[in-house]
Amino acid sequence: MRLQARGGSPGDELTSKICTATDAVARFVPDGCHVLAVGGMHLHNNPMTLVFEVIRQSRHIGRLVTSPSASLNADVLIGAGLVGEVATSYVGFEHLGLAPRFRSAAENGTLKVLDLCEAAITHGLLAGAGGMPFAVLPQGLELADVWRANPECYRMIPDPFGQAPVLVVSAIRPDVTVIHAAEADKHGTAWLAGAHFTDRIMAMAARTVIVQVERVVSTDSMSRRPAGSTVPGFLVSAVVEAAGGCLPTSSHGNYSYDEPTIKEYLSMARTAGGFEEWISRQAPERLAGVRAQ
Amino acid sequence: MSDWAVAELMVVEMSRNLSAGEVAIMGAVSSLPMAACRLAQETHAPGSWYVAGGSGAVNPHLSPIPDSSCDERLLQADCVLPLPDVVMLEGRGDVFDVFFAGGLQIDAHGNTNLSHIGDVAHPKLKGPGGVGLPFLPLAGRVIVYTMSHDPRTLVEKVDFVSGPGFLGGPAEWSRKRRGGKGPALIVTPLCTMDFEESTLRARIRSLHPGVTAARVQEMTGFDLRLAPQAGIRETTPPSLRELEILRRIDSAGLLKRAA
Repeated sequence: MRLQARGGSPGDELTSKICTATDAVARFVPDGCHVLAVGGMHLHNNPMTLVFEVIRQSRHIGRLVTSPSASLNADVLIGAGLVGEVATSYVGFEHLGLAPRFRSAAENGTLKVLDLCEAAITHGLLAGAGGMPFAVLPQGLELADVWRANPECYRMIPDPFGQAPVLVVSAIRPDVTVIHAAEADKHGTAWLAGAHFTDRIMAMAARTVIVQVERVVSTDSMSRRPAGSTVPGFLVSAVVEAAGGCLPTSSHGNYSYDEPTIKEYLSMARTAGGFEEWISRQAPERLAGVRAQ
Repeated sequence: MSDWAVAELMVVEMSRNLSAGEVAIMGAVSSLPMAACRLAQETHAPGSWYVAGGSGAVNPHLSPIPDSSCDERLLQADCVLPLPDVVMLEGRGDVFDVFFAGGLQIDAHGNTNLSHIGDVAHPKLKGPGGVGLPFLPLAGRVIVYTMSHDPRTLVEKVDFVSGPGFLGGPAEWSRKRRGGKGPALIVTPLCTMDFEESTLRARIRSLHPGVTAARVQEMTGFDLRLAPQAGIRETTPPSLRELEILRRIDSAGLLKRAA
């Protein structure tokens, strides 16, 4: 695989992580990827260019992990039949409605849903990022039914320091994380504009990170970003420049979500046939832009 | 006079429950609670705070109110917390005084379900999932709200507890309760409910103008145990001042369109 470099000083092509979505997915997302985490929350910052490319290359995913609230990112991967199980606390479209392919697959039994709570995803990712085998959850969360329905991820154990048992969640260690950022430099250092949701910790917990960005910028401009708003390049394997690459979801700092297109999706994706038609209409458009790089 | 939309009345009802200095939090699809918190800040509860769900925005300035709880416009706020910080603080149990919650099902003891209807392995309806609802027992109190007051939504017992209310009732609640006081209100398009102290069951606290108790019972899937002669007061409609402020906050008229 030859990665494309752009500009810069001689020798940069040796270290540049900039490549096309096609190359990034071909190289870093194996078919049968055990755990893939997808960034973005609700209708925002969904890394759709990479998601559509995973679909185009038919990469099957053992377990899809989402932020506490997934949306189009998870629904299309599930709709494409690529997801064995999904670990999530929400897949939906907020005020626009339920997630049609997620719902259908869960109700038909073709998708295993590992229901988590927001705390389990967040603390599970932090545990993954910190090398801890599991995370202890706040007492009180055991009163909900969520943990009982998901013994694969949750356990109740004795508190070594106290009396009452404590609820724990296994660490989340994605093999691959795909996220969107506003900007990155060619070394992979990425800056997240607006809200970060769980995208940064998803990147920190993963073995391999692919970042799609609105723009590739110089390392100079990256060095002035505030602490806590970046993902360091040493964690990132590939940078894909994809302007508009979150559409039809929003990209904080860049554009809002495209509500008519999402509504059209929700209407068409009520049937498997409608879903296929929508995806075949959307994906080539995105991929054309990516290929043109 | 009913020159207001029912969602506006619901916002005013929720707003009146908030007090100065309190800190509130809310999750997905939170236009109503966001408007309620902002209205409270501008009327009777100055110095109250609210955190707009997954955006991490603290006191978003709103106007207009966005539909999505993670909209970038919410970041025009007093400050913005990273989501993992919000999740940590939710776990402390002594930070958030009020948690706004909804559900596909809400039951007589104020438990909520956003996960699924029917059996967990073969759900009749797979809902989106409960996100932060398991944190409810750690919040000071819970304000439950729904735009769907019907027997499918308001049920005797939820199929799955995403957000714990008073669990199975007084015995289980007193055994298992955490720091929080549990659900305080259920606000719907027909009425406002609170909970009877002895049974911890929801009951009608006030009827929205033009709604009868019989109508509420007809649309509710659990027994409200209405006394035949009991007089139930009417929900106080929004005042002109409340409406004026609310419509300035809701400059896009989102609440008027809510149904």
